[in-house]
Amino acid sequence: MQVIENLKVKEKVYIEKLENGLTVMIIPKKGIQKKYMIWGTHYGSNESSFIVPGEDELTTVPNGVAHFLEHKLFEQENGTNSLDVLTSLGVEANAYTTNDHTAYLFECTDNFYEAMDELMDYVQHPYFTDENVEKEKGIIGQEIMMYDDYPEWRVYLNAMQAMYHNNPVKIDIVGTIETIRKIDKEILYKCYHTFYNPSNMTMVLCGDFVPENMLEEVKKRLVNTKASGEIKRVYPKEPEEIVQEKIEQKLEVSQPLYTIGIKDTGKCDVKKHIAMEILLNLLIGRSSNLYKELYHEGIVYAQPSLEYEFTNIYAHVLMNGQANNPEKVYQKLKEEVQKFKTNGINKSDFNRMKKMIYGGYVKEYNDVSDIARMFLADYFKGINSFDYLEEIEGITVEYLEQILKDVFKEEKMVLSIVKN
Amino acid sequence: MEYKQTELKKGIKLHTIQTDKFKTNLIAVFITTKLNRENVTKNAVISAILRRGSKTMPSQEEISKQMEEMYGASFDCGLDKMGDNQVLKFYLETVNDDFLPQKEEDILKISLEKLLEIVLNPYTENEGFKPEYVEQEKNNIKQRIEGKIDNKARYALDRCIEEMYKNKPFGLYKFGYVEDLENINEKNLYVYYQELISSCKIDIFVSGILKDNINQVVTENENIKKLKERTPDYIVPKELNKDLPKEEKVVTESMEVTQGKLILGLNICLEKEDLRYDTLIYNSILGGSANSKMFQNVREKAHLAYVANSNYLRYKNNIFVNCGIEIGNYQKALELIREQIENMKKGEFTQEDINNAKKGIIATIKTIDDEQDTGITYYFGQELSESGISIEEYMERIKQVSKEDVIHIGENVAIDTIYFLKD
Repeated sequence: MQVIENLKVKEKVYIEKLENGLTVMIIPKKGIQKKYMIWGTHYGSNESSFIVPGEDELTTVPNGVAHFLEHKLFEQENGTNSLDVLTSLGVEANAYTTNDHTAYLFECTDNFYEAMDELMDYVQHPYFTDENVEKEKGIIGQEIMMYDDYPEWRVYLNAMQAMYHNNPVKIDIVGTIETIRKIDKEILYKCYHTFYNPSNMTMVLCGDFVPENMLEEVKKRLVNTKASGEIKRVYPKEPEEIVQEKIEQKLEVSQPLYTIGIKDTGKCDVKKHIAMEILLNLLIGRSSNLYKELYHEGIVYAQPSLEYEFTNIYAHVLMNGQANNPEKVYQKLKEEVQKFKTNGINKSDFNRMKKMIYGGYVKEYNDVSDIARMFLADYFKGINSFDYLEEIEGITVEYLEQILKDVFKEEKMVLSIVKN
Repeated sequence: MEYKQTELKKGIKLHTIQTDKFKTNLIAVFITTKLNRENVTKNAVISAILRRGSKTMPSQEEISKQMEEMYGASFDCGLDKMGDNQVLKFYLETVNDDFLPQKEEDILKISLEKLLEIVLNPYTENEGFKPEYVEQEKNNIKQRIEGKIDNKARYALDRCIEEMYKNKPFGLYKFGYVEDLENINEKNLYVYYQELISSCKIDIFVSGILKDNINQVVTENENIKKLKERTPDYIVPKELNKDLPKEEKVVTESMEVTQGKLILGLNICLEKEDLRYDTLIYNSILGGSANSKMFQNVREKAHLAYVANSNYLRYKNNIFVNCGIEIGNYQKALELIREQIENMKKGEFTQEDINNAKKGIIATIKTIDDEQDTGITYYFGQELSESGISIEEYMERIKQVSKEDVIHIGENVAIDTIYFLKD
């Protein structure tokens, strides 16, 4: 096994790529009772057009299949539901779907191997029937309606509509009532066999484990599957321009919610991600002049959340919050960006923010579930999580100023508002 | 892991949790006071005003800068209802010295001093808080009060509690009331703050890789020294519901929603406090897990909901059943939920259900020490309810629960309020 050690947080990750293509990562945590296992496939709501290995023709499926599969995998041929079985073992089991991956997980103190049996069994044995697929449409339908009532979700998704013409990040991960209606067991099987091949999957285990032994336990439970060839993922062409600058929706809320988005192009790497985090905090973070001004003028009453989101097919900045006048926040942010561009970045502010971001990375290593989820999500982006701790030192003011110029362009900005 | 508590002065305690499981040290200061209409809004404004500035860090920007300088110490405040108390919570999390890229001076000591200063030595002008801060924070709290409609699921639960506890302390909204903000000004709020600090219960928690001098650092702190001993003014949440509600209250409210939010507030009548452990098992079978009656019957079999669960509020002995449904399915869902409650009473569950519930609860107890904030919350809960039960005893007590015990709880549960939020 390949071993990577990080001396800053004093942790190690053991990595092995098995013959069937599956990547296994083990992060031992001595003295912790909690154990965590997560198994993910590099397949999320982004993938709805693809060429199955060995086929020539393009397959296109309705939106929401990845998430539908996540729900349905728990169902077993013998009539049991794996979520029930896992819960009976006293473990906390769950699953989730994102834009670029789907993951199955559990957290426990006791019965780890029994739970591992169950998890690895159900992920490797799909069982879909016309009845059980139909039944799920009712439950997912309620899940979709639940999200319709979340203003935070609406304001985010609308920002995606404003930024993207065709990129699948603009579609709802769960699909819509109309698209899920078209899903049947054939579609589910086809997507399952394409994307749940071990060569497209990664497993992360974190807890008080001996890595070599744990790897054997994993191997024992794998069914015999050969690594498939490359899945050709076909994404629609996305122009660099945004769709529209402003978008608004009415919902019953106490105060307007806003998302300011900045569409970015090109690949993102660890270095750029760190720089974006420092930059966003300098611009509108807790100690920034802009936040101070907005707070004092009573425009906002809490710091906006700041994020730089990216996968292999998109990258954008997101700032979310509530404000009595989102237009004002948007205007002032534009002015502040201009000021930063003209005056340059203050060196001592920069150093302080670097320290803060560093501390934030260290804190990620407190909890086995946070660690495992981080390693999995980063892996699908082609990143080793430890790199954040190592690369931060090398970030310079000059690099930040370059990023500021490249990313913070007025013509790439959008404002999404949800209000009464 | 080692937990210790020391009474610094009457009504003021230091709790230390020595643990090497984390990369961080977590410090918490909890201010506990009786919940009542007169003070609930003032307490909310106090909790907001204290983060605006202290004696040596007179502004929010200054506090933030100093926190950033300490490798992103995260400073956070919260406001909670615990039984009939209102608790003002202040947290500071810092990276432990062992994981810093270079040698720094004792960050734990500095951060402890800073947090105590923020809570106990606020920034003042002319015997009052800074007028500008008070005006802004009143507005801030107003937004928070009005903001309760933004999360519809949370709103439905808050409203159900409000209806169940009409004209009682626990029915109060934790951020208070807009109409009570008017009379608050920088002078009277500061007078109230001084009263609060001299009469409330104060608990200081420090968790992490601690040095031997930790007690000394706290006892010798200037802000601690100037505090006087007190008989703290709070309510030990030991009260048990004597009677079951005689009739059900039904409340329906309309709002712009796509999905209906149905909440059932249940009352549990217990003869003795010890039965709370049995109630935990009861709740787990009714709606506390994916194996529960709610999840299995309302979600998996009837496909009426995506969210279908129940939560036990131990300080008040209530269970809240919660689900998001299509609005037209109200009657159907309600009948189905009633059936689940009825079946619990009739003992229509198996020994296996009980065993599963126990496993789930015990796993949660075992991880208390694996999460830094959960550890603090657990020990604070013990402190507040004066129960002093160890984690081992807690697990032991859960293991003893029998089927009869759970049926007994079932017989003593009744629906108090049915709340439905629809379009």
